[in-house]
Amino acid sequence: MDVTFWGVRGSIPSPGPGTVRYGGNTACVSVRLPSGELIILDCGTGARNLGISLLAGPFGKGKGSATLLLSHAHWDHIQGFPFFGPFYVPGNSFTVYGGRSGERLLEDVLERQMAAQFFPVQSFRNMGARMEMRPMGEDRDVRVGSATLRAHANPHGPTPALAFRIEAGGKSLAYASDAGYGSDGPPQAAVDLYRGVDLLIHDSTFTPEDRALRLERGLSSLEDAVDCAARAGVKKLALFHYDQDYSDHDVDELVARGRRRLAEHAATGIEVIGAAEGLTVSL
Amino acid sequence: MRIQFWGVRGSLPVPGPRTERYGGNTSCVEVSSAAGTRIIIDAGTGIRRMGKELMRAEFESGKGAAHILISHTHWDHIQGLPFFAPFYRAGNKLFVYARQRDDQNLRSVLSLQVDSPFFPVPFHKARAEVAFRELHDGAQFEINDVVVSCARLNHPYIATAYALSVDGAKVAYIADTAPFTDILFGHEFIAGPPSPRSLLSKSDHKTLRTMRSQVVRLCEGADLVIYDTMFTPEEYRQTPHFGHSRPSDAVEICHDAGARMLALYHYAPDRSDAEVDAVLASTRKEAKLTAPKLDIVAGFEGLDLALGKG
Repeated sequence: MDVTFWGVRGSIPSPGPGTVRYGGNTACVSVRLPSGELIILDCGTGARNLGISLLAGPFGKGKGSATLLLSHAHWDHIQGFPFFGPFYVPGNSFTVYGGRSGERLLEDVLERQMAAQFFPVQSFRNMGARMEMRPMGEDRDVRVGSATLRAHANPHGPTPALAFRIEAGGKSLAYASDAGYGSDGPPQAAVDLYRGVDLLIHDSTFTPEDRALRLERGLSSLEDAVDCAARAGVKKLALFHYDQDYSDHDVDELVARGRRRLAEHAATGIEVIGAAEGLTVSL
Repeated sequence: MRIQFWGVRGSLPVPGPRTERYGGNTSCVEVSSAAGTRIIIDAGTGIRRMGKELMRAEFESGKGAAHILISHTHWDHIQGLPFFAPFYRAGNKLFVYARQRDDQNLRSVLSLQVDSPFFPVPFHKARAEVAFRELHDGAQFEINDVVVSCARLNHPYIATAYALSVDGAKVAYIADTAPFTDILFGHEFIAGPPSPRSLLSKSDHKTLRTMRSQVVRLCEGADLVIYDTMFTPEEYRQTPHFGHSRPSDAVEICHDAGARMLALYHYAPDRSDAEVDAVLASTRKEAKLTAPKLDIVAGFEGLDLALGKG
């Protein structure tokens, strides 16, 4: 299983010299299963570069298919959707899974982003590829090709965000972007979802100090991420979804603090990395 | 008149090492008069950093006022608004302007961007006083000491060009528009380039000619014209239906209008810094023949120009 980061930023893309190492694109991660199947986690602006790389293969000829899992419909998780090249090649086929954000069905949410006031293509039906939208069941296994998927809704300010677990070929990954746990930490169901995975990609938007000032945002600090990793006994933790104002230097500091925090847990067997655009983790 | 560029990119923000010099943020330009009138044109992601800058002065204490002119509501021209810090401070006064629509008023178009499930903070929780003003093509009005003129542009779902005059200087802002030759854009979806056999109707030709002459008039004698130069000639041949121009289109309009300076603007997301350098060099070279008096610069994040007095 190869996991590649295309966008690691939260809230809004943050171009500029201060973010070139970790990257300024919003959330998007691709997962290539041992069978060759492709799963895409979230569709922030990082999806544009993923799309460009995919067009060099079967997706460029209208022979590609992939599963897209959307954690929730905040802009930084869907704003790459109109700019994902493979959507414009007839013959490609996508199954899109998401939650029921604010009681609106996924299709309606994505269609609103494409509407004429906002985007010249006016409807995702004008894009060309075949797209099927499906609501994601929560807290139960869903079989998609050779993978077993499971989703759990984490609290995230006024709307929930889905966390996903993907298992295939004896390897496992959990993706928990945008998690705003209460004061008693992650619920057991979330910890169970992350349990023992080879790689946990976890929201690490803030330092604990910055998070304390912005609790209503429903996002995690690096300590929340590290505590989850330690409780769930994961093998590797990738910090993810950095605040738009954090420079590369600030993210370096988050990672260093994460490693110190693990040492406090005496969970030094867990490796902590900072997710960065272009980085591939092979499991 | 002072003009500052905060975002120069079209379509979507493009962070990364290839765009470090010109910048990856989407459209946003700030114009301020010597007397202190502050006008922001377009609210792409560039407006976020400007908002942070504004919060270092009177906007922090809720005593700021700014006027935001929106060329049109495609994402790359509004997506920074929810991240514009002065919105969230009580006492600030913000006036938002855009072209009037038949189907939906401006407030509800912009509300959708911050409604659930897309954004956690809806409009009614923004604490600043926000007023909306809808404009018709050809409108002319004053914002304090600044005279603003509007013209219709040739872009999918229709965009507005603005010209601002104050302090004895004039700036025109033309993002986004197609040339006024091959396609007449309106509200309908255009799936591809026109077929070679499909000719524009006489009335469409006439509409485009009129539109062009109004844009030229808007730019007449301008000290600076900021113009959509998204495409290379080859890209335009492939995707004329996207509704964007080439540098040569911008040079022609500037020449016809007798403008002094052209700023290339609204670069395609794929355009790297080195490619913008090359586009600037070739545009200058060609313009030596076609518009020898025109000064040409390439807009970049941080470009700061003083025109006229003040």
